[in-house]
Amino acid sequence: MAVIGRVFNIQRFSTHDGPGIRTTVFFKGCNLHCKWCHNPESISMKPQLELNTDLCIGCGACFHACPFHMIDESGAHIIDRYKCTGCGKCTDTCYAKALTPVGKDTDTDELMKDILTDKMYFDLSNGGVTFSGGECMIQPDFLSELVAQCRKEGVHTAVDTAGNVPWSYFEKVDADMYLYDLKAVDPTLHKKLVGVDNKLILENLKRLSDAGKRMWIRIPYVPDCNDGEIPAMAEFLRGITAEKIELLPYHRLGEGKYDSLGIERGDAIRTPTDEELDRAVEYFNAHGVNVIRQ
Amino acid sequence: MNTAPCKLSPLYDRRIKGLHDDKMEINKKKLEHYGHYSTDDHGFIYDPNFTFSFKSEREDGIVRGFRQIGAAMHGFIDATPAYVNKHSALAGAWYETITRFVPIEFAPEDYPDKEVVETWEKYHPLPGFTGMNHCAPDMKIGFQLGWGGLKKKLEYYRDFNNPADTAFYDGSIELVEATQAWVARLAGKAFAMAEEETDPDDKQNLLEIANMNAWLVENPPRNMREAIQFTAHFQTIDRMYFTGGALDQIDELFRPFYEKETKAGTLTDEEVVWYIASLFFNDTHYSQIAGLTPDGSRDMTSRMSFLVLDAMHYLHIPINMALRVHDGVNDTLLRRSLEYTLMDGSGVDYSLNIGCEKGYAKMGYPEELGRMRAKVGCNWTAIPGYEYPLQDVTRANLAWPLYYALQDAKAGERSLDYLWERYCYHTEKVVDSIKMGYDRHYEVKYRNRPEIVSNLFMHGPVERGLDCSQGGVDIMNLNIDGIGLTTVADSIAAIEQRIVGEGRITWDELFEALDANWEGYENIRLMMKNISRFGAPDSPAEKWAIKIRDHYVHACRDKNTPKHNIPINPGMFSHGEVYTFGRDLPATPNGRFFNDPICHSNEPDPGFAQGLNTFSPSLKATAVGKVQPGYGNSSPLHLDIDSDMLKGEAGIDALVALIHTHNHMGGTLINLNCLTKQTLMEAHEDPTTHPDLVVRVTGYSAFFISLSKEYRQQIVDRFLSKQ
Repeated sequence: MAVIGRVFNIQRFSTHDGPGIRTTVFFKGCNLHCKWCHNPESISMKPQLELNTDLCIGCGACFHACPFHMIDESGAHIIDRYKCTGCGKCTDTCYAKALTPVGKDTDTDELMKDILTDKMYFDLSNGGVTFSGGECMIQPDFLSELVAQCRKEGVHTAVDTAGNVPWSYFEKVDADMYLYDLKAVDPTLHKKLVGVDNKLILENLKRLSDAGKRMWIRIPYVPDCNDGEIPAMAEFLRGITAEKIELLPYHRLGEGKYDSLGIERGDAIRTPTDEELDRAVEYFNAHGVNVIRQ
Repeated sequence: MNTAPCKLSPLYDRRIKGLHDDKMEINKKKLEHYGHYSTDDHGFIYDPNFTFSFKSEREDGIVRGFRQIGAAMHGFIDATPAYVNKHSALAGAWYETITRFVPIEFAPEDYPDKEVVETWEKYHPLPGFTGMNHCAPDMKIGFQLGWGGLKKKLEYYRDFNNPADTAFYDGSIELVEATQAWVARLAGKAFAMAEEETDPDDKQNLLEIANMNAWLVENPPRNMREAIQFTAHFQTIDRMYFTGGALDQIDELFRPFYEKETKAGTLTDEEVVWYIASLFFNDTHYSQIAGLTPDGSRDMTSRMSFLVLDAMHYLHIPINMALRVHDGVNDTLLRRSLEYTLMDGSGVDYSLNIGCEKGYAKMGYPEELGRMRAKVGCNWTAIPGYEYPLQDVTRANLAWPLYYALQDAKAGERSLDYLWERYCYHTEKVVDSIKMGYDRHYEVKYRNRPEIVSNLFMHGPVERGLDCSQGGVDIMNLNIDGIGLTTVADSIAAIEQRIVGEGRITWDELFEALDANWEGYENIRLMMKNISRFGAPDSPAEKWAIKIRDHYVHACRDKNTPKHNIPINPGMFSHGEVYTFGRDLPATPNGRFFNDPICHSNEPDPGFAQGLNTFSPSLKATAVGKVQPGYGNSSPLHLDIDSDMLKGEAGIDALVALIHTHNHMGGTLINLNCLTKQTLMEAHEDPTTHPDLVVRVTGYSAFFISLSKEYRQQIVDRFLSKQ
């Protein structure tokens, strides 16, 4: 039976989210709150509105459609994002596509149709589908049904997760491989950076490793946030078996999304230099952990 | 097979770099004089002093027919300077095309009936009647005979056939004699330059060029260098006539020479790379490498295929080369081509065998012939030496039938069914009129603008004394390209959704908005524009696109030409002329303004991916694969991919999979640019910052700096729509 879930983006021809050509399905909702998140639209489970003021033609249709009258006399959009229910009435009348919905409820049958359109690309590249987010593991029923259907159709599955869920979720989902984020080893720092303790995250990572699950570990390198964690990470990762460990440089491509979603940005974070990244990779490799730059 | 990249010694590295720099200098001079242009480089040399005149026998000044044109070409070739470049292994270049100086036209009395011409005036097609070239030479004919042998062959068949009118042979012989005289002049020029040259290597090279050309005046080529020189002669004469640009399957063409001479120890790989680079410097004629043998048993990739790629990479100027892909194509060759494209920004394009070959078999020809069809034009394929397909010169702009269907609906019944019925009626009118024009073309072309150069390198024309447009070759299937598919599909889908389905606007409101060119109706325009457009998965517009494609193919294939029963092969290719075909076209219901460009070939319009499904190359490729016309003629997929996204082996793997998948999904041709956003934006802002940036515009490549603003904008729009 089809299971309903909430997603916000389907990106085909992904070449960095697992082996081969992949379709990455981004789930909406996350149980971490990383300071550097470049997909801020993925954090809230609620449907949201994205506003691109450059596209607005000031027709006023959204004002009339919305029960909260979110356009004032000057023509500037004032959105009460707390009251917004994501009903879609305003986006439906915004032909200029200045207001667009972020997050759509879909069911597993419908999503499978989308996934299977690129099956030939998967087959010819040893690729497949990657479920990402947000945190896709917090929609375990939806996710496990998708993984099961993909398996039936011969589509390889990867789950991109931060791992902050009970181990039973991993048992339920049982994807072909995992792309596992490691943000920090120190629990206090972890909580400071992403809002939660990392005990469960590290335990799950170890259990996946011990179970011999195919796994790529991905370490975001965020200057002045987790760059001091490299030695601790190296020590931890020496006890982990992974097919590949990648260092992902922080980038600022997601910054514009904060404004369009009406989300306040934290302090600006700089992007790492090549030298910093090379130094980190060298450290890992010198301490017995094979890490590459993405 | 040795698949390693050829390493160049300092001498050959210097020579090829010299050719690159000379090309940049030549291009700079051309841009100073002509400004920008929207074709590829074509290899010509600008000479401000070049001039030519020829006296017509007719009162209206028109020059036509074999005899007159043979004489005109004689004078024109005589007027063309002998070009020799010490960096090149070859001599010769063209300076002008004769049609800029001589009105080689169809006589008014040879035009189709008034009714046909009036239909063309109404629907604005490019009717193909009078179209030139667009057939491919079998260069082996020339290699076996040489210029002297070609002349003897013409003389022999003139005597043997003893036709009442010997114009075919007389004109052709005069052309060949003029060519021989020009080749002799090239030899003389090279001797003269050698005498003054002080560098021993360059002096030796110039002497070799001189001796080679002196031999080739009368005799067939004896080795690879002479064969390539002969090919350059052909390219140059071909351009001088009507800027013909088709060549052949060049790896196979030169492979026998390569095998024989390398075995004998008289030829090295770096010499081959230099010869081929010199050929590319001479001209941008279209050619192909790899692909299946006619019987399908073997991939034709050879060491020559790799050396052709190396020559392209080292020379790094606009070059039009296709790599024919099939499941068993040499994987190393495919990957090498992609590595070079990622390094250089553009490289080969990819002609895909399944759609090209199995599609052609649907025309009633054996699939073996489909395999012989090489990609030798912007988008088009032909069997070198055997086929007259006339692709890429005939376009039926489907947006005009839509316009007239809307006018009919405005005056009559306002329903989707009626609109569709009228659209089909008008489409058939324009297609039928083109077919009638083709009948006339077949009857009269030979006595107006004969294929006086191509005939020499085709199987049949000389033997029969017939122009290849007139039954000179065995295979004749004439193409009509339907263009504007997406413009029409998105328009009808918008009407279906907004008027019929949702009832958000009325027919009257739409007609008012269209009549006003959307002025005062921006909200309605955006409403019509921002539907789920063609390219979005399973969109209603996609269903319309398939229906429009099916009807168009039916209109072409249902009946042959009415008078001479010539089969029509449906194609769908716009070239880069989307602005030209949008000119004068009123606003369309997809939100397009009056005069705006129409869509590219059968591709979704930029920005089609909205909502959940963001842009991806595979999304676009899937859409293009679904709406192929299906009879072997190519409808290309343009991909401009940010090379930063494709770094490393995974990027190459992804592109390999993309190419093979598109082949299996019905695609026929992929034109690929791999650029960084930074490079493209810098070049767009100030083209002089990247004077040697080569991009693939559609089926052809060009210096970005040479393109008109409109064409540069097309490249940038395509790229940015994916960001």
